[in-house]
Amino acid sequence: MAEYLNCPLCGFEFEKLDTLCAHGCPLGGSCNFVRCPSCQYEFLEHQRKVSWLHRLFGREEAQKPRLPEGIVPLRDLKRGEQARVICLGGDNGSRHNTLAVFGLVPEAEITLVQQLPACVVQVGETELAVDPAIAREILVERLA
Amino acid sequence: MNRAQRADDTANPGKVTVLVGNPNVGKSVLFKNLTDRYVTVSNFPGTTVEIVEARASFDGHEVAVIDTPGINDLSQRSDDARVTRELLAKHDDATIIQVADARNLRRALLLTLQLADLKRPTVLVLNMADELEERGGQIDCARLSEILGVPVVMTVAPRNQGTRQLIEALPRAQPPSGSWLAAEPVNEYVGNRARLGQVNDILAETYSMSQPESPSLKVRLGFWAMHPVKGVGFLAVALLAVFWIVGLFGAGTLVDLLETGVFRQQVAPIAIQAVDAVLPFPHTHETESIPLGVSVPLSPVHELGIVTAQREVIVPAYQEPADISLSLRQQVWRFLHDLLVGEFGTITMALSYALAIVLPIVTTFFLVFSILEDSGYFSRMAIMVNRVFRIMGLNGKAVLPMILGLGCDTMATMTTRILETRKERIITTMLLALAIPCSAQLGVLLALMAALSPAGAIFWIGLLVAVIFAVGWLTSRLFPGQTSEFILEVPPMRRPHVKNVVAKTYARLNWYLKEVIPIFVIGTAILFLLERLGFLTVIARVGEPLVTGWLGLPAEITNAFLVGFMRRDFGAVYILDAAIGADPVLSPHQILVAMVTITLFMPCFANFLMIAKEQGVRVAWRMAGFIFPFAFLVGGAVNHLGEWLNT
Repeated sequence: MAEYLNCPLCGFEFEKLDTLCAHGCPLGGSCNFVRCPSCQYEFLEHQRKVSWLHRLFGREEAQKPRLPEGIVPLRDLKRGEQARVICLGGDNGSRHNTLAVFGLVPEAEITLVQQLPACVVQVGETELAVDPAIAREILVERLA
Repeated sequence: MNRAQRADDTANPGKVTVLVGNPNVGKSVLFKNLTDRYVTVSNFPGTTVEIVEARASFDGHEVAVIDTPGINDLSQRSDDARVTRELLAKHDDATIIQVADARNLRRALLLTLQLADLKRPTVLVLNMADELEERGGQIDCARLSEILGVPVVMTVAPRNQGTRQLIEALPRAQPPSGSWLAAEPVNEYVGNRARLGQVNDILAETYSMSQPESPSLKVRLGFWAMHPVKGVGFLAVALLAVFWIVGLFGAGTLVDLLETGVFRQQVAPIAIQAVDAVLPFPHTHETESIPLGVSVPLSPVHELGIVTAQREVIVPAYQEPADISLSLRQQVWRFLHDLLVGEFGTITMALSYALAIVLPIVTTFFLVFSILEDSGYFSRMAIMVNRVFRIMGLNGKAVLPMILGLGCDTMATMTTRILETRKERIITTMLLALAIPCSAQLGVLLALMAALSPAGAIFWIGLLVAVIFAVGWLTSRLFPGQTSEFILEVPPMRRPHVKNVVAKTYARLNWYLKEVIPIFVIGTAILFLLERLGFLTVIARVGEPLVTGWLGLPAEITNAFLVGFMRRDFGAVYILDAAIGADPVLSPHQILVAMVTITLFMPCFANFLMIAKEQGVRVAWRMAGFIFPFAFLVGGAVNHLGEWLNT
């Protein structure tokens, strides 16, 4: 599978194969730089940190997508509100399937039982608790 | 959590029936109804970890019935589904009994449509028909049977209703009609979405549910138990109840009664006299007056006395006349005498300890645990603690092994299998071995705590919690891998059935006693030999600088730590002996240091073996290599901190 990289300078997305900066570069395989084919900016492919140090102090950044009118993350529903699931979000196939076997699929109608300490929804006759992090990614449409 | 599969059951081929179904729908109860063999049944999804098989006779036909772990789908991903798949592939003539929760037909039918692809004779059992009725739901069984092309039977498994009809329906089992999926789906998720669409069509024809009126008390209790504010109160009440029943009643009243009243006053003297009669050598046992006070606890410091009695009895300690030298035969007899009823004797120490101290505590704990488990509270507890457990790289599901660890760490280490990733299993195993005191030890530690000031007791608990979080956090950061996502079904609150609770407590106790008593006996025998051969003094001398210098404890306590390697509650008993009595050897400060150190020790040799079995020998050694120095490190830190504060 091709690996895609994002240029930190111009934002151009390109395949990793296109990144060789110059043939015959004396550094060869030991060079960690890649070059953006669009703006020629050279950058480190991976921010090399000592992995356990990274695990100890590293933090993942939260991202907020922009959403169409009327569609909210499951996390923003209030107690007792009913909603229809629009998409499960993320690209985690195993999570999608886990949710699906409990009946939580797009088009399913749900009732929110509670948000704290974990998000609990009622899908049909099943009460299902999901982590707030997952609830943030599931998008739903409020039903009147 | 189940008893292991018996090899002789599988050897004989013949008609095979496999119970398959979603988790927590009552497969295990139905299995018991069909075969009269008990497996652990609980109201927590994922209790059946292993496959259990038994023979049964239906209308004169010999049939093998197999119980499987609950599965939500037949995908390859989860271990349970793979186990079930392989089992069905092995028995290609097997009849499938699909057990479904009648109230949750949607999910059951999703599984039915997946099972339909296997083209096996199937019977669909709609269990919990009474709870469906209670909620005002109705299922048209005849129509459902017509659509699916398989017999459909309604049952209420705990009351053994419908078992007869199920057995009658078995010969009529046939593969589900038609093909449900038009084309092979791209992936599981797409396939399941298509199936769910079909399930909705079937439900529209066969299922009706009247709108419920006001929620019943049970439903409301269920809501409160996971409410962000009321839930915390609920948790506090539950923990207090556990503490009162196990810590005060089990470890106090029952232990007093059994240990002092039965063992020390009755059994031990009789055993000593019997052994003396069989193996005579010149000696006289000392006598001691042992007081007995049995009382019902009202609070940690108040109690209601029932019985007090004092008896003058003989104790294992004895004196030999100084001027007589023993013949060889007498020396052998003295050796055997000491092995049986000496201070490290099998009867006087191992058995009295296992049966009189550990047994009552563990019994009360398992009883309370079973009640909580069957009520469906643990899932709600998992929701309550999920966020806090995240700090340690775990999710809420780890609460079950952690609480079970308060009963028996070894058993809890086994149940870490219900966790999904290796990372979670390692972290939980580590925390169990390090800082969760098991009930045997808790009993002794609670007694020790009585000798401390309340501030000391709070410091001890606070330190343990801090250690759990700190070590959990560090392990989760340092150990590569993912924490699984927290997606947990919340089962409805149910009233626990007395029969089920008793049977489950009995099954756990049975396992515990079979595992633990031999270890007690062997451990004590090893200790006895070490003492006899003089190793105890040698090791004590080597370890002494560490104990006296770093921990600031008297040299005798070295023995306690030495024993602590065998069983850490054994070690705690040693400290208890040194701390309580007419002239205590230890000051409160020293008791605290000793308590902290011994709590952080690996619980027992059995736990080490279980870690090696579940996670591999290397992991077990690494954990031991971390835990023992860490225990001494923290103990020493407490010692020096305390001394520094005093000066």
